[in-house]
Amino acid sequence: MYSVEETIEVAVPVRAAYNQWTQFKSFPRFMTVVKKVEQIRPALLSWTLAVGPLRREFQAEIVEQEPDSHLTWQSLERHFVHRGEVSFRPTATGGTTVTVRIEVDSPGATALRGGLPKLVGRVVQRELGHFKAYIEGLGAESGAWRGTIRGGRVRPEEPRPHRSRVAHWPVG
Amino acid sequence: MKKAPGDEPNEALTVTPPKKWAAGVPAVAHALGYSLEETSVRRTGETLLTMNQVGGIDCPGCAWADPSPGNRHRNEYCENGAKHINDEATSRRIGADFFREHTVSELGRRSDKWLNQQGRLTEPMVKRPGSDSYQPISWHDAFDLLASELRSLDSPDEAVFYTSGRASNEAAFALQLFARALGTNNLPDCSNMCHESSGFALHETLGTGKGTVSLDDLHHADLIFVVGQNPGTNHPRQLSALEEAKRNGARIIAVNPLPEAGLLRFKNPQKPSGVIGKGTQIADRFLHIRNGGDLALFQGINRLLLEAEDARPGEVLARDFIESDTKGFEEFAEHVRTIGWDDILAATGLAREEIEQVRDEVLGSRRVIVCWAMGITQHKHAVPTIREIVNFLLLRGNIGRAGTGACPVRGHSNVQGDRTMGIWEQMPDDFLDALQTEFGFDPPRAHGLDSVNSIRAMREGRIKFFLALAGNFVRAAPDSAITEDAMRNCRLTAHISTKLNRSHTVCGETALILPTLGRTEVDIQADGEQFVTVENSMSEVHTSQGRLQPASPLLLSEISILCRLARRTLDGRGTDIPWEQFEADYGAIRDHISRIVPGLHDFNRRVTRPGGIQLPNAVNEGVYHNDVGKALFTANDFAMLRAPEGYLLLQTLRSHDQWNTVPYTSNDRYRGIHGSRRVVLVNPEDVAALGLSEGQHVDLVSVWGDDPERRAEGFRVVSYPTTRGCAAAYYPETNVLVPLDSVADKSNQPTSKAIVVRLEPVASPATASPR
Repeated sequence: MYSVEETIEVAVPVRAAYNQWTQFKSFPRFMTVVKKVEQIRPALLSWTLAVGPLRREFQAEIVEQEPDSHLTWQSLERHFVHRGEVSFRPTATGGTTVTVRIEVDSPGATALRGGLPKLVGRVVQRELGHFKAYIEGLGAESGAWRGTIRGGRVRPEEPRPHRSRVAHWPVG
Repeated sequence: MKKAPGDEPNEALTVTPPKKWAAGVPAVAHALGYSLEETSVRRTGETLLTMNQVGGIDCPGCAWADPSPGNRHRNEYCENGAKHINDEATSRRIGADFFREHTVSELGRRSDKWLNQQGRLTEPMVKRPGSDSYQPISWHDAFDLLASELRSLDSPDEAVFYTSGRASNEAAFALQLFARALGTNNLPDCSNMCHESSGFALHETLGTGKGTVSLDDLHHADLIFVVGQNPGTNHPRQLSALEEAKRNGARIIAVNPLPEAGLLRFKNPQKPSGVIGKGTQIADRFLHIRNGGDLALFQGINRLLLEAEDARPGEVLARDFIESDTKGFEEFAEHVRTIGWDDILAATGLAREEIEQVRDEVLGSRRVIVCWAMGITQHKHAVPTIREIVNFLLLRGNIGRAGTGACPVRGHSNVQGDRTMGIWEQMPDDFLDALQTEFGFDPPRAHGLDSVNSIRAMREGRIKFFLALAGNFVRAAPDSAITEDAMRNCRLTAHISTKLNRSHTVCGETALILPTLGRTEVDIQADGEQFVTVENSMSEVHTSQGRLQPASPLLLSEISILCRLARRTLDGRGTDIPWEQFEADYGAIRDHISRIVPGLHDFNRRVTRPGGIQLPNAVNEGVYHNDVGKALFTANDFAMLRAPEGYLLLQTLRSHDQWNTVPYTSNDRYRGIHGSRRVVLVNPEDVAALGLSEGQHVDLVSVWGDDPERRAEGFRVVSYPTTRGCAAAYYPETNVLVPLDSVADKSNQPTSKAIVVRLEPVASPATASPR
């Protein structure tokens, strides 16, 4: 197992930075490693990452999500086991400190203990830079999901959130 | 044009040991063999290579979900789907000449297999009162006949409109709209006979009528229960999902009275390891349960989980979740602790040790899914059984999280979508209000008739008019003799069909065959080529577009038939439903659906995206749309099915070479049955205890408290590893044994998985009719 932690300051308020982070499907617009994100539902995501010729698809569950504060996730694959957290803290100047921490626990992790964390750290730092450029360039978020997730389960922010408005009569 | 078999050969029964694995190369060979018997190489290629692909044909064979667009195989179908689609794409045709040669009563003596083999219907036919033959009729005259009959009814509630799960969303929506504009909610459907119990139980406890899992959940579960379900035959593509789950480390517990081949091992024909290797072991644990013992099993597991929590407080149950999201825990827990082990073991036929091992598997798993099908739903206590499954899931918070949930596996491809479109006799007021706002008429509010109640009403002469949108109602329904009498009691019966089946031979005074396009065929209307939409078992709504030249230029689409019938019938009744526009452009129907059915907003645009629309499930959004607004624990009375001494509990089931009511051959190769479908599978110890012998000729006689004797003649006894006291035989041949009044509590679903029967030896081989 190894872990990496990277931080960046972005010059937008916490709410804008957090809201933008919830727009997972837009990540491939500004991140270079993230090629595709499908949000199957709020707490279940499918990611496609690629570095050079290496391509990795995995699904991840969002375990905790607290608006304007943090979210944590864990991969659901057996072969690329990792957990992560991204947190958002206000700075004194009205901006946001975004911190990403990733713990990787896959079979290859130990063998490559030396180089891999550094490489992953560099990738995360670069992608955080892309995030900063994107949200600062926009000046405001392109969308938001303001729900809360606890223990992998969505906690609705209102009695009948939009996504719950579906046919619910018995189906034979 | 290929020629259909003229005679019904007498085949001899042979029995070989049941298979221990499913699919592999034989599945491919059987699928291709059957397809090429029915149609050409070119048409086989056209159907199979577009099947379940983006922009292609949705396989009508089952409702299993498709993988996401980028992850589908080039051959995304199974043996049974391939057979089914080419059964529809057959090159055989029947028209007026065929009906001149065969009277209705002669056709009534033919087997289901033979009727299906004759080929595609090509022109509308009518059987007039007093006649024993179908004759050609023009579409114009057929609609006149139907409309004048409907207009002559004393009340619209004298009409019944049945829907089979083959019908598209658009056709289903048009049918319910027509029925309600006419003034009735008499909308029975095939799901009344398959998953009605699931809908009732899930709605009451979780506030959803549908399953809560997606393929992604299955792929990432730690533990999957496959209960009362035979995926190898009935949903073979589920085996690919289970294989993927196992590759990710999942364990699988199969619960079934029969050790079905598909539960044991799967050789995926899409992979080299499935062609030449040993394949994948599916079930890590097989619980050989008695028919209907599943309620007791889950009560036993739940009791053990509560006791494990007693021993290790705070470590077993999802206390926070139970506190925040559920109601009724204390009452449930108090009740389930009173269920005695002697009762549980007697009802399940299992050893306590086996159930304790299941508990240990559960305790070692963070993500658990329960899949089930008709082995659960077709019992008197089906609704309590499914409620108990929900209790089990709630105890450890296995709802609303990735890799967890409830998975009722539906059989017919659009059975779920038809219900979403309002095919239900009890639709809630908000749906009816939306219809009223959209179309300006006042839909009837009184509940209509489901399938069983429709048969009762037909028997009593309260129904004069029966129209079926696809399906084979008399063979799908229980109590065949009573159902057939009920149909014959109608003034007019009509079927919108692609192929001949027994329902066409059981006629009202007047009967109509309205031949229609199949899923495989190009559908061109005034506004150009059309597609339809369907919804699978995992709530994905997507398009289906046929590619083949229609079987006859005279075929009308289901939607055309319904729109023309509605125009002719409702003309002058003051409704402003644009039936002509609906027929010309199915997109116009979807525009209206988008304003009526919650969750399908912007339907036309979203459904054409690759993969279509994934309808959310409110449970996964933390919302429970039931009466209490929370997930509900329930206390379910213990129930045990018991046949008296000398009797057996019979379940009806499909053979592997069968699709719903249509047998393709007389073989069931996974179970080792060849050459005959009139067999009853009995545990060898029961064969001995009942004084019977292998291969002996018997009649099956069902025991129920009402007058008529229900007898299925001319069966052979086959020793088979089913549980003690429990037997199995194929439907539709044994539907005659299922009493109409033997239904599940609350859901009114026939109890086809637990009929008390005796096996009466007959001295010489019976000369039963082929069917």
